[in-house]
Amino acid sequence: MIVSIPRETFPGECRVAASPTAVKKLLKMGFEKVLVERGAGETASFSDAAYEQAGAVLVDTAAAFAQGDLLLKVRALSDAEVGKVKEGMHVMSYVYPASNKPLLEKLAARKVTLLAMDCVPRISRAQKMDALSAMSNISGYRAVIEAASHFGSFFTAQMTAAGRVPPAKVLIVGAGVAGLAAVGAARGLGAVVRAFDTRAAVREQVQSMGAEFLEVMVKEEGEGGGGYAKVMSPEYIKAEMELFAQQAKEVDIVITTALIPGRPAPKLWEKRAVENMKPGSVVIDMAAEQGGNCELTVPGKVVVHNGVKIVGLTDYPSRLPTTSSELYGNCLLNLLTDMGGGSGYHINMQDEAVRGALVLHEGTLTWPPPVVEPSPQAVKPAAAATPKPEAAAAVAKPANRGVRMAIVGGLLLALWLFLKFTQTGAASPATYAFLQHLTVFVLAVFVGWQVIWSVTAALHTPLMSLTNAISGIILVGAMLQTNGDTPTGALIISLIGALLAAINIVGGSYVTQRMLHMFRK
Amino acid sequence: MESVLLTIAYLASSVFFILALRGLSNQETARTGNIYGMVGMGLATLATFLAIKNGTPLSYTLLFGALVVGGAVGSVMAARVAMTSMPQMVALLHSFVGAAAVLVGFASFLNPGEHGGSAIFVVEVGVDIAIGAITFTGSVVAFLKLDARISGKPLVLPGRNYLNLAMLIGIILTGVMFGRTEGGEALGWLLAMTAIASVMGVHLVAAIGGADMPVVVSMLNSYSGWTAAAAGFMLGSDLLIITGALVGSSGAILSYIMCRAMNRSIWNVIFGGFGTPTATSKASTEQGEVREIDVENLVGELQAAKEVIIVPGYGMAVARAQHAVYELTSLLRQNGTKVRFGIHPVAGRLPGHMNVLLAEANVPYDIVLEMDEINEDFEKTDVVLVIGANDIVNPGAETDPGSPIYGMPVLKVWHAKMCVMSKRSRAAGYAGVDNPLFYMENTRMLFGDARDKVAELVTALKAGK
Repeated sequence: MIVSIPRETFPGECRVAASPTAVKKLLKMGFEKVLVERGAGETASFSDAAYEQAGAVLVDTAAAFAQGDLLLKVRALSDAEVGKVKEGMHVMSYVYPASNKPLLEKLAARKVTLLAMDCVPRISRAQKMDALSAMSNISGYRAVIEAASHFGSFFTAQMTAAGRVPPAKVLIVGAGVAGLAAVGAARGLGAVVRAFDTRAAVREQVQSMGAEFLEVMVKEEGEGGGGYAKVMSPEYIKAEMELFAQQAKEVDIVITTALIPGRPAPKLWEKRAVENMKPGSVVIDMAAEQGGNCELTVPGKVVVHNGVKIVGLTDYPSRLPTTSSELYGNCLLNLLTDMGGGSGYHINMQDEAVRGALVLHEGTLTWPPPVVEPSPQAVKPAAAATPKPEAAAAVAKPANRGVRMAIVGGLLLALWLFLKFTQTGAASPATYAFLQHLTVFVLAVFVGWQVIWSVTAALHTPLMSLTNAISGIILVGAMLQTNGDTPTGALIISLIGALLAAINIVGGSYVTQRMLHMFRK
Repeated sequence: MESVLLTIAYLASSVFFILALRGLSNQETARTGNIYGMVGMGLATLATFLAIKNGTPLSYTLLFGALVVGGAVGSVMAARVAMTSMPQMVALLHSFVGAAAVLVGFASFLNPGEHGGSAIFVVEVGVDIAIGAITFTGSVVAFLKLDARISGKPLVLPGRNYLNLAMLIGIILTGVMFGRTEGGEALGWLLAMTAIASVMGVHLVAAIGGADMPVVVSMLNSYSGWTAAAAGFMLGSDLLIITGALVGSSGAILSYIMCRAMNRSIWNVIFGGFGTPTATSKASTEQGEVREIDVENLVGELQAAKEVIIVPGYGMAVARAQHAVYELTSLLRQNGTKVRFGIHPVAGRLPGHMNVLLAEANVPYDIVLEMDEINEDFEKTDVVLVIGANDIVNPGAETDPGSPIYGMPVLKVWHAKMCVMSKRSRAAGYAGVDNPLFYMENTRMLFGDARDKVAELVTALKAGK
């Protein structure tokens, strides 16, 4: 199979689908030849010579499209490029099938097999092929760098001989991959960072990166499946807008990254918020391509309103072309490895990652993929990962919990009935004693439950022998029965009991000690 | 000894026991924990000795004699037991708890003292003896199985669950009769109940075998605790109740952990079991070509490897290969290779069995990791050495819904660049499931006795230096 890597033709696009390192790996993977269009890597600082050294064959545009079997690209094919595609070719690139219907039809006519890098499902196994996340990470970083270049002051606080400069205050709206990368980059430059997200689950991630997590006073969960956000209720949005209008007065830089799958970007940064900002402040709208989070954003442009710069760039990954190309190439390589590499290349419909990305299969539309039930093993390890009481509690499903409550209630009822009907008249001291013991017993079970969960798995064998030893404390019971001056049946039985219990106590403790002495660093 | 002081001594012992278990939360504090346990037991024994009512020179002498003999027997057993035989030892000690509980139950029935007479007391005696008898005979069978004195294969009688049910009803009925009669007649019923419970204990454990033994042993551990707690109710001793509850929950948690590690419920282990005709696997029909590797080539791979993970299983214990494995580990570590161990929760015949064996062979415990800690690291590992394990590294558990062990968490050794399986023969594992791992492209088989093969590796590595 021959792989070909053409030059990207989209205006301003500086990336390339594979770096020379990636070419080397492709050949190692068993692809017989890799064609690279002359000048393909130029804008990403990869010279033709470097490609040749890696084993690639340099060709012109026409040959790249006509001779390859597998075309690796970054951007979706343009109209001009579609015309050059060989019949039955396999293509991997960004596609955005939802908004690119005409492209799909044209490629279908040429019996193309198309894998969309933007459709790789967000499952943990496919993380290494997830080009969107890889690019979002780069975008988040680059957005901060853009903000710094438009901002007229330091990010970090400085105490100079000439006077004190306060730190920049940065607000990041939307703490997805890009947002978190932006938090990290802005913190790295020394700014005071706040972040907002509708999904409560990201709070810890935000805080772990050293930013403050902002909240509104309306309780609503914004998790909409697959790790993406959903549309919130009007009350929530109103409270959110109030929060932003307030924050606008304080912060110097706002970076918005809020996207909801399949919808235009939500308008979060209203005109009044922009007008609340100090002159010289910067708004970086990373959602500009999907219409923008700020009302005043012009995609692809930097506009100034009341002294506030609103940056609507849409090509952040392309502004770090070397790294973007490397990482994008790695995602392609990982997907190809999953598909069997060069020698075993095939489309496996059972593979969730491949099936998700597959848009056209030999000209037949296979998008959107069927909804896959979450497989049991995808769920299990998560539960097994933390063998702690929390996990045990989490395992109990709500339905189970109901059953358990019923069982506990039933037992208590049975206990009451038993005590009531085995007694005649008022409760005897024996009943009270029993209830007291029961209390001790139940509490001890709970203590035991808590203590034992903290025992490390490596010491489970010593735990068993130690519990052997301490359950030998039944010795106490046997000892109390040894009395009288004639060897009665009861006395003899008790003595044998005491003997066995003593074996347990001494044997258990001793062997535990022996074992524990072996555990050395 | 006055009862207030006795109660305080018992309270202190209970606290010591909790501290003892608490100490096991990590290796550094574990030894102190065990010492707390001994202090607690010493304290309780001493206080009880002083608290015996109506003691006579005869009874004191006899008791003292029993304690000395018991202690001596215990010390000898503990000093002599090989670490590979720990499962047997633990099972045997469980049986002693059960037996002691039965004996104490009979003694307190014959010699009721101040508690006797009430309906509650009668029930307590019954419960104590029933659980004690099940624990006793069950543990004896477990001991015999683990010690290979009887076959480890599950004994499946027709309609075994009905048999269990019948016996349970029998225990309850004889128990009720025991409560309703007096004197010699009551003793007769009590003996009948003990007999039924003993048979039930045998039957319950005889039906389980092989790799399910860790669950059985932890379950019996739990029973021995509940027995002690029942004895505590019977004797009105909070110390026994607390201790029993601690031990009981400990065993219950261990059983739970083991079952989860096999993706089965406790009911399935006790009343179901593998090998039932319903569990047919399509994987067992799937065959492929296995690739062998010889010691010489494997040494080359190990010398070139930066990261090695060793996955031991019950086979390592059987072959007693842990010392050879340690030698191999230290040679590789001197060579600058990062060597770690991956332990599956149900590897071996006892929870944590592999850890003890490796500790015995001087393997530092900080390179011995649990499945969850190491499972993500196989991808960047150069060589995985699987020694005497099979089902716990079976990829079919993840990929083949027809496999009986489907859904069981396994060590993902096949993600490593190379996986070497040291196996005595090509036989399938306990579950009788064929292992697709054998036929994978990056898997190599090293057939032969684990200890011999590892020893050969060590010699070859030394020669290669």
